[in-house]
Amino acid sequence: MNSFGKRLGGGASRRDFLRYGGSSASLALLAQLFSMQRAARADVGAGYKALVCVYLYGGNDSFNLIVPSSNPEYATYAASRQNLAVAQNLLVPIAPATSTGVTWGLHPSVPELATLFGAQKLAIVGNVGTLVAPLTKAEYESGAVEKPPQLFSHSDQSDQWMFGSAVTAAQKIGWCGQVGENLASMNPGSVMAMNISLDGSNTLQMGATVAPYILGVSGPTELTGFWGSQGTLRRQAFDALRQKSNTSKLSQGFADVLNESVTIEATISAALAAATPLATTFPTSWLGQQLEMVARMISVQSAVGQQRQIYFVGKGGFDTHGNQNAEQPDLYADIAQCLAAFQAAMAELDAEPNVTLFTMSEFGRTLSSNAQGTDHGWGSHHLVLGGAVAGGDLYGTMPDLTLDGPDDVGGGRMIPTTSVEQYAATLASWFGVAPGDLSTIFPNLGNFSAPTLGFV
Amino acid sequence: MMQDTRSDRTSRLLAVGLLAAGTLGCGGGGSGGSDGGNDYVQGSDVPASDADAARFLTQATFGPARDDIDFLRFIGYAAWFEDQRTLPISKEKPYVDALEDDGKDLNQTHRMQIWWKNAMTGKDQLRQRVTWALSQIFVVSDQHSALYGDVKGLCSYYDILATDAFGNFRQLLEHVTLSPTMGKYLNMLRNEKANPAYNIRPDENYAREILQLFTIGLVQLDPDGEPTLDGLNQPIPTYDQSVVEGFAATFTGWTFENAVNWWDWEGNTKPMVAWPDYHETAAKSILDGVVIPAGQTPEADLALALDTIFAHPNVGPFVSKQLIQRLVTSNPTPAYVGRVAAVFDDDGSGERGDLFEVVKAILMDDEARNGHTTMPDTFGKVKEPLLRMTGLWRALDAKADSGKYKVYWPEYAFGQAPLRSPTVFNFYSPTFSPPGTIADAGLVAPELQIATHSLIAEGTNEFYYLVFWGHSDNTSADKDTVKIDLKPLKPLAADPNALLDELDVLLMAGSMSPEMRQILVDHLNATPNTDGGRQRVLEAVYLIVTSPEGAVQK
Repeated sequence: MNSFGKRLGGGASRRDFLRYGGSSASLALLAQLFSMQRAARADVGAGYKALVCVYLYGGNDSFNLIVPSSNPEYATYAASRQNLAVAQNLLVPIAPATSTGVTWGLHPSVPELATLFGAQKLAIVGNVGTLVAPLTKAEYESGAVEKPPQLFSHSDQSDQWMFGSAVTAAQKIGWCGQVGENLASMNPGSVMAMNISLDGSNTLQMGATVAPYILGVSGPTELTGFWGSQGTLRRQAFDALRQKSNTSKLSQGFADVLNESVTIEATISAALAAATPLATTFPTSWLGQQLEMVARMISVQSAVGQQRQIYFVGKGGFDTHGNQNAEQPDLYADIAQCLAAFQAAMAELDAEPNVTLFTMSEFGRTLSSNAQGTDHGWGSHHLVLGGAVAGGDLYGTMPDLTLDGPDDVGGGRMIPTTSVEQYAATLASWFGVAPGDLSTIFPNLGNFSAPTLGFV
Repeated sequence: MMQDTRSDRTSRLLAVGLLAAGTLGCGGGGSGGSDGGNDYVQGSDVPASDADAARFLTQATFGPARDDIDFLRFIGYAAWFEDQRTLPISKEKPYVDALEDDGKDLNQTHRMQIWWKNAMTGKDQLRQRVTWALSQIFVVSDQHSALYGDVKGLCSYYDILATDAFGNFRQLLEHVTLSPTMGKYLNMLRNEKANPAYNIRPDENYAREILQLFTIGLVQLDPDGEPTLDGLNQPIPTYDQSVVEGFAATFTGWTFENAVNWWDWEGNTKPMVAWPDYHETAAKSILDGVVIPAGQTPEADLALALDTIFAHPNVGPFVSKQLIQRLVTSNPTPAYVGRVAAVFDDDGSGERGDLFEVVKAILMDDEARNGHTTMPDTFGKVKEPLLRMTGLWRALDAKADSGKYKVYWPEYAFGQAPLRSPTVFNFYSPTFSPPGTIADAGLVAPELQIATHSLIAEGTNEFYYLVFWGHSDNTSADKDTVKIDLKPLKPLAADPNALLDELDVLLMAGSMSPEMRQILVDHLNATPNTDGGRQRVLEAVYLIVTSPEGAVQK
């Protein structure tokens, strides 16, 4: 553990998950996980590591996902949230290893997350957001400390989470893209980028020179139609056209993607065709389909020959300005069910210690309501899941949920108490980025007393 | 209903002997006949070549057909613009209304039918293309839960964009703002004044995005669209959170025109109306120090708010640059943006925001007309996937026996479909610059954001199907299969260079490189010409539309 002052209370050790595992349902799930583990193939090579980013597009209202359940703190929460508040008696209790006296519960639609938390596979990092340096409300108002540019804007805050620094930048290079370039020597001779996206293009995985490989949820798409002798001739012409150089940079940019697509497809398709099917079933939602493909890709990691992989999956719908009370439970439930399935698949592959999944989202949301939902906020809680995670605990400092209180810059927009850079640097550090390189990727990290937070 | 433009016009052109005759009568002949009764006179400002005409039409329409090229070369640019300005508007809502009257339970496939029909056969091609561009700036999407089933709402919204595409930007802004479809999408509908007892404050969604995405953007711009920098070389924000909150309060009190109760969940597609009891009447600070006085009506507040936004100096360069990127080139020079923005600011008659003149300035600018020769390595844009498809189909006069265009889910192969963006940020960012060739050259290529490894292969396969199955010699295809017409091309197949000359004009506006042509000539010569030309035509068409050169509009 390397949690310093940001860790609640500090000093906790890993505990027997049975003490905290809670319900019989969670025990049944764990028994299932363990039985799958016994049957698993040793597909994942020693020393292999993967990061999996689950990006929640729109700005997740995590203040209803993780809720204080002890009376005074719940009363503060309920007073701020009014018609958006989750009923106290419906919260699913969790028992963080480190206690400050405040008790906590999860939204009733995510019992799977409570189980994973109890099994010490899931950690919660509280009130993370974009920061240049630690910031008080007084400093926010006076301007004495620099603020992230373009707060509360989707595109800018999303970029800053993905850059791993609170700046505007002409060329958008993400921290996972930089990590991929920093550790490129871990994947010698690989045909594809370390970064792989199941949800299209994203800033997070853009490197200075390398873009992510973008994969469909059914696997790579093979070019079709080149049948028979005429097809063979046509393929030769098609290949000549895509492989020739172009005066137009735009044509060349298109050709670059097409050429990579063709080259990588052959390798991945062959590996997937030879793979043993996963026994774990995933939800059929978009997030479930993406995570299932990630699990399948991890299952053929040794055949693909990459020692380090960074996956990106995404889920939209979190910009809950309207109809929040109706839509939020489904959004949360999908996250919980997909994460539980993914962790079960990692257990099946005997890859739990090798793979760490984490959430990102451009901002939290206002504690106050616009009558139908919430508006763009700032800090928000995040989830980190995996066998290497020091789970079953809360990290960082949970904010004071009082409207116009010390953490609120207006309407219940919480000043983050942990920066994106600390959160990301912790993950990058586990992944193998040398301590001396962290400050290159995360330029403001030195402004914070604890560069990494010890949750993994 | 709209009939096929090209065949109507072709018959008219043939009837009068296009190149010989000095005038070209029209008078609304044919069953469509909606050319507004224009008489066509041979113009003096005609494109110098078929390729020049095709290049213009690639920028200004859903793709050039042979007849369109001939027509433009006859009447010239000025008359073409005037013709396009006055043609009746091809709309979507009447089509779905008629289906509903016939007892159809409307869904998004019906909206897609009319979008494709208008894109493929609407005579008002310039208006339709500009509407399509505007729909990628003023984004609404059927991916939002509130709009998924709202076919009529989305069609009326698209019709607003089509109607105002040649109107004034201020009017467009008001119509978009009061559209209940936009109201649902960005939550101005039923947005209410603050209620401190319940910690309720106005919804900020529309207030933020009308500024950030529709009008002025996040940072102050010079007249040429480049960010204005402060003394520390940093961009200067155009507004802060307090301005968003001021607009949020201003945009309160509006709901459906036929609402009986404030909380009515559904309503008609007419412009929203104000319910004063739900409107914030306190004074509101908005952009650049403007204060909306206390006690005004919701309508007066809205007018002052929109006037204030419209007057901001960013609007011209912000909107002009994005329209240039959608129509002509991803990387316009600042001077080009500045010339167009100047027309936005004043169309010559003192009017600000005249969109027809802005569009004309975009397309007739020297950079638009000659950029392919003056900056061959950077000019142009990766074609939007849907425009690759409409370009192929319009060039080769594609239609189904049923007359329908049943293209319902193009996003699966192409990552793009009308009013189906994943978010209000459109299918791609105007600043997308992937590492490698594009970023190294300091360029942006927005459309490459959806040319992913996955979609580029899906799209290539889709074109295989569209070409090798969807053609006029395929007797196995069903009545809804859209088929390209091979008849005019097959006679050319005996001479590969003659075939490629025509396809180069139709599909690439004459931009095919000698290297590409050589590869195609060799391939066609290796392909036996024993079936009347069919195979060679299919081979050439497929290879052109899937090639990196063919995927870029120059």
